[in-house]
Amino acid sequence: MANPSEKKPGTRQYDPYRELELRTPIHNLYNLPTSPEYLFQEQATVNRRSWSENLQYYTGSGYLGGAVLGGAKGAAEGLRAAEPGDSLKLRVNRVLNSGGHAGRRLGNSLGVLGLIFAGLESAIVHWRGSDDVLNSVGAGLGTGALYRAASGPRSAAIAGAIGGLAAGAAVAGKQAMRRYVPV
Amino acid sequence: MGTPETSREPCPDRILDDIGGAFGMGAVGGSAFHFIKGIYNSPNGHRVIGGAQAVRMNAPRVGGSFAVWGGLFSAFDCTMVYARQKEDPWNSIFAGASTGGFLAMRQGLGPASRAALFGGVLLALIEGPGIMLNKVMSAQQNMPMILEEPVPNMAGGPGFQLPGRGPQAEQASDSGWFGGWFGGKKEEPKASGVKTDVLESFDSPVPPTFEFK
Repeated sequence: MANPSEKKPGTRQYDPYRELELRTPIHNLYNLPTSPEYLFQEQATVNRRSWSENLQYYTGSGYLGGAVLGGAKGAAEGLRAAEPGDSLKLRVNRVLNSGGHAGRRLGNSLGVLGLIFAGLESAIVHWRGSDDVLNSVGAGLGTGALYRAASGPRSAAIAGAIGGLAAGAAVAGKQAMRRYVPV
Repeated sequence: MGTPETSREPCPDRILDDIGGAFGMGAVGGSAFHFIKGIYNSPNGHRVIGGAQAVRMNAPRVGGSFAVWGGLFSAFDCTMVYARQKEDPWNSIFAGASTGGFLAMRQGLGPASRAALFGGVLLALIEGPGIMLNKVMSAQQNMPMILEEPVPNMAGGPGFQLPGRGPQAEQASDSGWFGGWFGGKKEEPKASGVKTDVLESFDSPVPPTFEFK
């Protein structure tokens, strides 16, 4: 790797900050403070997403995943439903319609699930103060129960159980993958 | 203040964040709106249930619409940032126009153009005062210096944010209005009337003063 301070003949080294120096002391930008960012050691060791980041992450991945999956399924369905003798415009229209409808429906559902899950998980983490798998399981329970709350208490309980199991399995799966899969 | 925590994610992850944020805003706002509307439109004694039903029917749809708009806007914004190699308010305006046109594309060229115009105008109303303010402020500060040392420099890369985004706007106004839109290439500095000091290091040789040399 060439030494960056070597001067090639016929060139001059350009200082990108030269003109800017005249208006603002630009190098102050790089004088970061050395004082600690957090007041307490417990705050500093915590390695957790804030509630807004949690919300954006789960909701966004839920909606995007649902839209992509639903769109793919709907598009395949639209391709299959083509009749012989259809013009290209008609086929494209059918694919776009069915893909769009299915994608929107699944995307909305998964987005709502992600939203509720993220909100519940942030709330549980805030109240319990510890980082457990129980937070995710509790949030999954609540998400399932809330999602099916309108269909009556029995389906709410079943959905809650499914949600809690799914969340626990996801956390366990992620930890197992971290430990055993060489990625 | 330590390392800036309020800065946004880098561009690909920003799209996911924006989809999630937009969906959340749409779902929560839509929930509140449709709950009140459902309460208003329900018979006595069934108001809360009617409100909850309206929320269940409408809030995911509103959230989905917001998410589509926000996701497309963010994707086009990141594309513009990548193409121009600059972070500007102009990226947002073009992205707003592209989103509006893209969403109306299936209805034909005319409606799509109108929707693109509408989206662009909307974003321009939001971002325009920012651009004007930047140009005016940096033009005022740079008027004496432009005459002395015209050195157009297109290497203002993304992420290099000074307070007020002064240097990028003034470099755009240096090399003409249209030429300043596309950056990322180092143009040769005009040699007329420019002191060509050969700098040994990047440290400033003299402390900054307020006199013009």
